[in-house]
Amino acid sequence: MKKVALVGAGVSKFGVRKATYRDLIWEAGKACFDSVPGLKPKDVEGLVVGSVMPERTAFQSHISSLAAEALGIKPTALSARTEHMCASGTVGIRYAYAFIASGLADLVMVLGVEKLNQPSGDEAILNMGTGVDREWEAAFGLTAPPCFALAAQRHMAQYGTTEEQLARVGVKNHNHAAKNPNAHFSKGATLDQVLCSKMIATPLRLFMCSPITDGAAAVLVASEERARTLTDTPVWIRGTGQALDGFQLTSLHDDYAHWPAMKRAADAAYAMAGVGPTDVDLAEVHDCFAIAELIAYEELGFCKKGEAGRFVAAGRSDYGGDVVVNPRGGLIGCGHPLGATGVAQAAEVFAQLRDEAGPRQVANADIGLTHNNSGMGEHVVMIYGREAT
Amino acid sequence: MTYVRAVDPFPLESADHTKLHEFYARLARGVLATTRCTACGTRAWPPRGFCGECASDRLEWVDLPGDGVVHAFTVQETGLPSGFEGPRVFAIVKVDGLRVFTVLTGVDPAKVEIGQRVRLAPLRVADDPKGNPRWLPAFAAA
Repeated sequence: MKKVALVGAGVSKFGVRKATYRDLIWEAGKACFDSVPGLKPKDVEGLVVGSVMPERTAFQSHISSLAAEALGIKPTALSARTEHMCASGTVGIRYAYAFIASGLADLVMVLGVEKLNQPSGDEAILNMGTGVDREWEAAFGLTAPPCFALAAQRHMAQYGTTEEQLARVGVKNHNHAAKNPNAHFSKGATLDQVLCSKMIATPLRLFMCSPITDGAAAVLVASEERARTLTDTPVWIRGTGQALDGFQLTSLHDDYAHWPAMKRAADAAYAMAGVGPTDVDLAEVHDCFAIAELIAYEELGFCKKGEAGRFVAAGRSDYGGDVVVNPRGGLIGCGHPLGATGVAQAAEVFAQLRDEAGPRQVANADIGLTHNNSGMGEHVVMIYGREAT
Repeated sequence: MTYVRAVDPFPLESADHTKLHEFYARLARGVLATTRCTACGTRAWPPRGFCGECASDRLEWVDLPGDGVVHAFTVQETGLPSGFEGPRVFAIVKVDGLRVFTVLTGVDPAKVEIGQRVRLAPLRVADDPKGNPRWLPAFAAA
C-alpha cells in the first residue's frame, strides 16, 4: 500500500451558528485550502463528506455533491458521503485513506459538516433520536445522554469512580477549549461550576456533556508523491482500526463500563502503526460525555481498567501528564457537530504534529491519536505521526 | 405556510407496516414475546427477521415471562426530545436472561434500585395515522 498523509486542514467556528450547511462548508473549505499555499480546488480529485442528518435538519440530501460544487471541486476519482452517526467524519477519512493507499486517488478532501440547531431546541434533541434504534429505543424518548449515563452508573458502581472525577473531564476540556478560538465554549470552567451545573441524566451534568453544535471541518489527504509536492511537513497516517460490538444498547457488552470494540479498534491501529499507548503524545478522544473519555483512557491503554477516574484527577491526561487528551477542548468544549467532529479531531492532530497549535501546542508531539465513536459499541481509531514510519 | 414538525416518534405497528406485527399484537394483550430460532435454538431480543447466529429464517414466536429485574437504569431530568417529559427512568431489564431496553412507569425515580423486580406494563402511546392503537413494552414496579 502507498503511504498516505494529511497535507492540509481547516475548521469553521463551532457553536450555535447563524449559518446554513453551505455557509459552514465554505468556512471550513476556505480554511483548508488556505492551509496549502497555491492549491486550487480543481487540483483536488475527490471529496468525501461526513454528514449525519441534513435530510432532517435542512430537508437536504445529496450533500456531497452540494459540497463539491460549493468548494469548486469536480471529483474525478472519488465522490461519496459517509453517514455513521457521530463517527461519520473519521469513517470518511478511512475511505479517503483506502482510495489513496490503493492508488485509486492521489488527493482527496474529507469534509464533515452539520447544522444541528433548529428554531426550536427540543426539535434539535428529537432529531438526535435518529441515532439510536427508532423502533426499540427512540420510541421511548431515548437519545444519547441516558445511554452514556448507564455506562457512568456501572463505572461508578464497579470501580468507585466519583462524580468529582467525571467533573474533572469537564473542567479540563472546558479549559482547553478556552484556548481554541473555534470552540463552542470559551470561558473555561471550575470544578464547582461543573459539579453544580444542571443534571441531565444521572450522574451526567450539563458541563459533563457535549452541546448541540453547528460546524464544519476539512482535511486534505494525499499520496506520498502528491504530498511531497504540496508541503514540507505532511502528517502521516500511520494506523487505523474500526470495530463494532452492536447498535442497540441490549446488543452491547453486558457491563456498560466495558467497550471491547474500542480496544479492538485501537489494537488494530497500534499494530498497523507499530506503536503502543505509551508512544502517544496527544489524543483527541470522543468525549461526547465525560464517562466516554474515562473509558477511552482504559480501552486505548493509557491506564488500567477501572483507574481512569484517578488518572484524570492526577492530571495524567493533561499538559505535563502521560498524554494530553483533547487539547482542542474535546466534544465537551468544542461542541459536537456530528459529521464534523472526527475531521476536526484530525485537523487538531495535523496542527499539533506541525507545531502550529499556538497556545494549545503539546511539546515534542510526534504521535497523535484520534478516537471517534457512534454510540458505546462502535469505534474508529486513527494514529498519525510526524514521521512516516 | 406554517412550520410543520412531521415526526411520528413511534413505530408503525400494524400488519400493513411491519413483519413484526405479531410482537405488537401480543403486547396489546399484555404479553411480551420474541422470536426463537428453531434451527439453532437462539432466542433473540428484540425479535428478528432471521437468526443472527445461524442465518436460518425458521423462527417461531415464544412468550416471555411478564416480569424481570432491573439490570441498569438512569433518570433523565432534562434535555428530553420534543414530546417527552422528565424525569424519565430509562432501564435495562433482564427478562429470563434477555436484556430488554425500556422505561419504568409509575415509579418514584429516587427509589429505583438495581436488582429491583419489575413487571411488564404495556404503555399506550398515540394511535397511528390510521387510528390503530399502539403500545410500547414498558415496565412498572412489581
